[in-house]
Amino acid sequence: MLRASKQQEKSVVAKRSWNLLVFWVGGERFAARTDDIGGIAPWVNSIAVPSRTPFVQAMVRREKEVLPVYDLAARLNRSLLGDPLLCLVAKHVDGPMAICIDGDMPSLHTIEAGTLQFSTRTDIETIGSFNDGNGEIPVVAFQTLGGSTTRRPE
Amino acid sequence: MGLRGHYRAEPTHEQGISFLVVCFGETRLALPAEGVRGVLTSGEAGVGDAIRAVGITYRHIDLAGLLSFPADFNASDTRVVLYSNGRSHAAVRVEQVFGLTEVEPTQCVPLPAHFRGDERSWFAGMFLHERGLALVVNPTWLLGEMAEVVSVASGGMSSQSAPQIVEGGGSC
Repeated sequence: MLRASKQQEKSVVAKRSWNLLVFWVGGERFAARTDDIGGIAPWVNSIAVPSRTPFVQAMVRREKEVLPVYDLAARLNRSLLGDPLLCLVAKHVDGPMAICIDGDMPSLHTIEAGTLQFSTRTDIETIGSFNDGNGEIPVVAFQTLGGSTTRRPE
Repeated sequence: MGLRGHYRAEPTHEQGISFLVVCFGETRLALPAEGVRGVLTSGEAGVGDAIRAVGITYRHIDLAGLLSFPADFNASDTRVVLYSNGRSHAAVRVEQVFGLTEVEPTQCVPLPAHFRGDERSWFAGMFLHERGLALVVNPTWLLGEMAEVVSVASGGMSSQSAPQIVEGGGSC
């Protein structure tokens, strides 16, 4: 049988396109795969934790859940904009972590996988970048952001 | 509940672990209560490098400094906690004593793996405390015995006295 079923065709199309969430940090746009995002919520005050791990020096508590905070804005040397700010939960290989982002509501984008370009950014882990017509947007590699103690899943 | 003076905390429940929760600003640290020998006001503690109490000399440990944490010891709530494991003795100045609390071992969990630095030695775990979070101070580190433990362990001694850096819930 040479003809692919409709379901198989859909599967191929799905694999060729990526769903991305575009968000803002200090007025700059970034993106991440929606598969790497656990949710978006209003930012709540973080709890400072004495730490020597770069950019991981706080935690946020959401009910009975406690998440480490990755200070992406500090890493990018940017000041967050908006009130209230938003909390993006990133699915890191070491477990979920909270990232404070600008208050501007993130937007969903679907791109063809082939349009993903090599990113020249060296200040942050990316899996590439894409251009939405208004400029290049780096796609942040949330799974490995800041390194990890865990081997990245295949 | 009076916290001043000398006492020796005893577990009030077979499975619960008691902690003395202290504050540095908004951050709460939990000291395993079994090592707490007393809580003094600044006036009672006096000045000097050490405090002599009940025949034991407690040398001052600058916990806030060790943690590179800002602290304000000018407030009237400032206290000095006398801490000991029977071998080493320390006097720890804290901004405020929150009080004693008891948690089930399963409620005490390790720091998330994202924390990969020295803090894994500083803190044996954490637990939810009221609306916040308390970080459990590793007494072995606090009392300056980490280096001794490492050298002893490398010399082939039992690891029973090794610092209890938890890798699963319930081992604070």
